[in-house]
Amino acid sequence: MSSGWGTPKGFAVTFRQIFRKPITQQYPEYKRPVYPRFRGRHRLQVHENGLEKCVGCSLCAAACPADCIRVVPAENTAENRVSAGERYARIYEINLSRCIFCGYCELACPFDAITLGNEYEISEYSRDDLIYTKDMLLAPPMKTVPVADRDLYDTPIPVYRSSS
Amino acid sequence: MSAPENVTLTIDGRVVEVPKGTGLVETAAVAGIEIPVFCYEPRLGPPVGACRMCLVEVEGIPKLQAGCTLTAQEGMVVGTGATSEKAAEGQNATLEFILVNHPLDCPVCDKGGECPLQDLTFRYGPGQTRMTFPKRTLDKPIPISPTIALDRERCILCYRCTRFSESVAEDGQLVARNRGSMSMIATFEDEPYRDLFSGNVIELCPVGALTSTQYRFEARPWEIQNVPTICGLCPVGCNISATTREGKVKRILSRNHPEVDQGWLCDKGRFAYPHLYAEDRIATPLERVRRRGFGEISWDDGLDRAEALLRGAGGRIVTALSGSETIEEAYALGRLLRVGLGAHSAVLPEATSSALDAFRAPLSSIGHAEVVVVIGEERVADRAPIVGLWIKQARRNGGDVVELAEPKLDAELEQRLRSSDRAVLIWSGRAGGGGARLAELAHSLGFDGKPGCSAFHLPATPNGRGVAEAWAAAADRDEANPEPIGLLIVSGDEAAADPAVRALAEKAEHVLAITMYHGLAVGWADLVLPATSYLERDGSFVNLEGRVQRLRRSVIPPVPDELGWISKLAARFGVEISPHASLVFAELAETVYGGEASFGDVGERAPLPARAAYEPPEPRPVAPIPPPAAAPAEHFLGTLRLLRYRPLFSGPTVERVPELRFQRPAAEVELAAADAERRQIRNGDSVTVRSESILTLRARIDRRLPPGVARIAEEHARDLGTTVEVSRSSNPFTSAGGERA
Repeated sequence: MSSGWGTPKGFAVTFRQIFRKPITQQYPEYKRPVYPRFRGRHRLQVHENGLEKCVGCSLCAAACPADCIRVVPAENTAENRVSAGERYARIYEINLSRCIFCGYCELACPFDAITLGNEYEISEYSRDDLIYTKDMLLAPPMKTVPVADRDLYDTPIPVYRSSS
Repeated sequence: MSAPENVTLTIDGRVVEVPKGTGLVETAAVAGIEIPVFCYEPRLGPPVGACRMCLVEVEGIPKLQAGCTLTAQEGMVVGTGATSEKAAEGQNATLEFILVNHPLDCPVCDKGGECPLQDLTFRYGPGQTRMTFPKRTLDKPIPISPTIALDRERCILCYRCTRFSESVAEDGQLVARNRGSMSMIATFEDEPYRDLFSGNVIELCPVGALTSTQYRFEARPWEIQNVPTICGLCPVGCNISATTREGKVKRILSRNHPEVDQGWLCDKGRFAYPHLYAEDRIATPLERVRRRGFGEISWDDGLDRAEALLRGAGGRIVTALSGSETIEEAYALGRLLRVGLGAHSAVLPEATSSALDAFRAPLSSIGHAEVVVVIGEERVADRAPIVGLWIKQARRNGGDVVELAEPKLDAELEQRLRSSDRAVLIWSGRAGGGGARLAELAHSLGFDGKPGCSAFHLPATPNGRGVAEAWAAAADRDEANPEPIGLLIVSGDEAAADPAVRALAEKAEHVLAITMYHGLAVGWADLVLPATSYLERDGSFVNLEGRVQRLRRSVIPPVPDELGWISKLAARFGVEISPHASLVFAELAETVYGGEASFGDVGERAPLPARAAYEPPEPRPVAPIPPPAAAPAEHFLGTLRLLRYRPLFSGPTVERVPELRFQRPAAEVELAAADAERRQIRNGDSVTVRSESILTLRARIDRRLPPGVARIAEEHARDLGTTVEVSRSSNPFTSAGGERA
């Protein structure tokens, strides 16, 4: 205020930035890769022989602090064998509008059947669409998310551009 | 009972004083110390020390002792796993041994989450296994009955189930087979486990070896709510917990009321809950439509039709109560019909009386009676199964059980009953006047002054007495039987299934049925209003002891409950009734249950009211449907008196549970040995039963049966007359048993 240098000093910062490379990332044209241990939306895993790993034990639902998982089990029969155990999850639903992505379900799972994936683009126009059913959780995600190179853990750099 | 002599002992450094002879597990519990157990269960008789989980170190004894088999002794110094390193090591090793062959099934096991083995392993067991060999594997699960699945891999051989089978239910069907590591639980001769109380072994099993097939994979313990309520299927009123998940009942557990059921529950109470989800359950009011059968109508229309029917009958209304309504419902219906319409006439399947209140005692008093006299032709288990267990306990405790067909005591027995301080009379049959006849007998035997002597009447309906009292309390006018009947109101499924009520309906101009199932109402009712089950209502039941017990709504019914629409309908007739059971109960309590009583006073484990003074029975407020005419006394070769009985596993509720089909009685006629011999009938023979109609049934010779009687379940007796001729079938093609030369 007292001196007349205030304005030029401020503009000096601005002009210095003009000649630097911008750090803005053009999401959604460009997707910043996530860390390998990023906790995105869940996926249900299957064994190599096609049987589901989930046996419908509901331990994930018990561990869930947001109470967003619902499991209704049923018994495997010789004609309809879905999982490797005695029973399987007939209904497996995750309400992703409630999920806080803490990953406790993954920790609780005794069969490594549920894992948290990388996808974070799960916004929808309706809350109902955020209830993911077993089919949706078993299927590979529609959108792929780039994952940072494990060696460059601390400074993720883009490995490829995605156009979605 | 001698005066209790106390002993003082030390457990984990704490000094405890308990009566001599107390078990060490209980003694430790008094001191606030837990001795972990699997096999120990005082209700199953003497301890066996099979699981070795309760190991304790007792000073002066070099080896570890099984705590559950010891009793408190003067000066004993006991160290449990909490203080004694030796005991802790022993328990740890015990668990390691138990787990050697126990499969890692916890995620798929129904017991997982409420499993004592999980809990105790977590607290006392090794954190890791040293077992590197393959575990023993067996076929799993094998059904030991349509309701129970056995997984032998998981069994830890605590012998709770076999002890229950042997010394509580006394059926002896569950046995332990083989030896050593190949010991396993099995049913005798691999027959299905068919017993009235078989379901209790599921609850007794401390692991997931015996599980319910109905509850199999339905829910996990952290997803359920247990609603404390009571069973409404027989007059005992066993205390139960209804396990619900996502608004549906998934299983029934017993809830120990030591005076009523001691924590046992019959299979009907335990496995009949799927009747809530029967296919033919009525969801909306139904109206008879000309030529099209039945049409669904809305509740508003339904109430309009009901109002029109009630107004149109002009007071010529008869109400057929089934005795399974809550007292609040019966009172509300009574207020509506008696105050609003002046329709005082009601029928109940059986007479009721409060005369036995003078000889009231908890059911548990049967268990240590010196002499138990059972009067009547109905089997106790068919009317009130838990009473049968108490009688067995009395017999095990050295009491004498006398069964009489008629209330005629010989001089010796009468003398015994007069002199005994612990005598029990049980009326299990028809025409008991709701206990009035038994009360007269008990009075004449001088039971009045002896608190240890009691008398019980086993009614045919779960809440008949409460319903009659509530109906009587609704108005103080005398009833008049209208002729002809303008409108018959059929309240409840049991009434709708009752042939006597159906006969009454033929005389009525219109019929309004309140029932749960299509099969019971369609075809003869003009208007059907959907009913709810005992698991779906709030209210109170009066059991055979006269104990007022509280029903709690476990799940929301698919239809409005009776009290709700009765109160709406009553408002149209200018009668004010609350739709809330608690308020109706408070109103009712003013007149019937002695001044101010509320739902809160009933509590989870209802207390038994004090004995009343004996008064000669008054005329009954509710007229009974007359029982079938008594058989003529004539008895010559060829003619037997037909004894129809209602088996425990019968009625509209049980019929809708496919799992209980195996428990229902076979198409058999039971004969006394003498009668069978005279007719050259052997066990299993196919016989022809002849009266107005002819039936072919299989013969079963029953030594308990008095001669001159043929006993057939009601559902198989059909329209046989009161006397029947029984002979061997001559037609070889209808033979049910193997033919003998």
